[in-house]
Amino acid sequence: MGTARREGDKLTEIRKEVSREHIALYAEASGDFNPIHIDQEYGEKSPFGSNIAHGMMVAACISELMGANFGSSWNKTGKMKIKFSSPVFPGDVIKTSGFIKKVAQIGRKSLVQCTVSISKQTGEKVISGDTSVTLTK
Amino acid sequence: MSSGNNAAQNPQVNYSALSVGSPISKRSYVVAHDLINLYKLAVQDESKLMTTGNGISKVHLAPPMSISALSLRGVVNDLKIPGGTLHVGQENEYLKPVAIGESLYCEATISSNSVRGEWRFMGVALKVTDSQGDIVMNGKSTILLPVEGE
Repeated sequence: MGTARREGDKLTEIRKEVSREHIALYAEASGDFNPIHIDQEYGEKSPFGSNIAHGMMVAACISELMGANFGSSWNKTGKMKIKFSSPVFPGDVIKTSGFIKKVAQIGRKSLVQCTVSISKQTGEKVISGDTSVTLTK
Repeated sequence: MSSGNNAAQNPQVNYSALSVGSPISKRSYVVAHDLINLYKLAVQDESKLMTTGNGISKVHLAPPMSISALSLRGVVNDLKIPGGTLHVGQENEYLKPVAIGESLYCEATISSNSVRGEWRFMGVALKVTDSQGDIVMNGKSTILLPVEGE
């Protein structure tokens, strides 16, 4: 579990490369076989010019980030609100990062609010948003 | 692995007729080990599964976003989402850990539906309850469907 607990603390980052194979696996796992994700010809003819990863597949990194930093508290008190702003293509390397924006003490509990984002190797943000988790001392 | 559907029984979905509160999907799932393994492989989540309990009663927990993905499975299928649909926003609230092997009931209803230009903006409210009737997750997806071809 990470050590970030105070306002301004950075969360431990996660980096990974998105491949066609992972997108195909996610289609199986999620049941989302939209051709924009898995049909190469369809992707090339689309406005994106390529297949794109499922938004929820990319967003999974935010949940992983929160779990890695705050443990099982994320499973039972986590909240997230995110926007998908740009597509992720096969071969893109994505970096998931965040920091603690605010910590509010509520009795023996701490409400930790974070700002999170995912960006590509180009620096372009693909997902941004806010998360929160309640920690018990 | 799943049972029950709504719009899936209709060959075509009339999106303009979906008003706030309209049910989209009601499905039951078992959070199977194989499904979670596949999910973790797909999202390249190499972390150990979290656990709850101790000793002989120790159980592994499903990654929270795998529950969100499960809750959207029925939406994708029953809403018959067309090819050019974009997922632009997502809200999730996790209220209770979900053990692998648990049975879940996923409900999805329309929370907003309007047309702006060439896109239909649709909000979908998600609710997931476990076998004890406890809500384990609430959520909301915002999707943009191309109006062309409706």
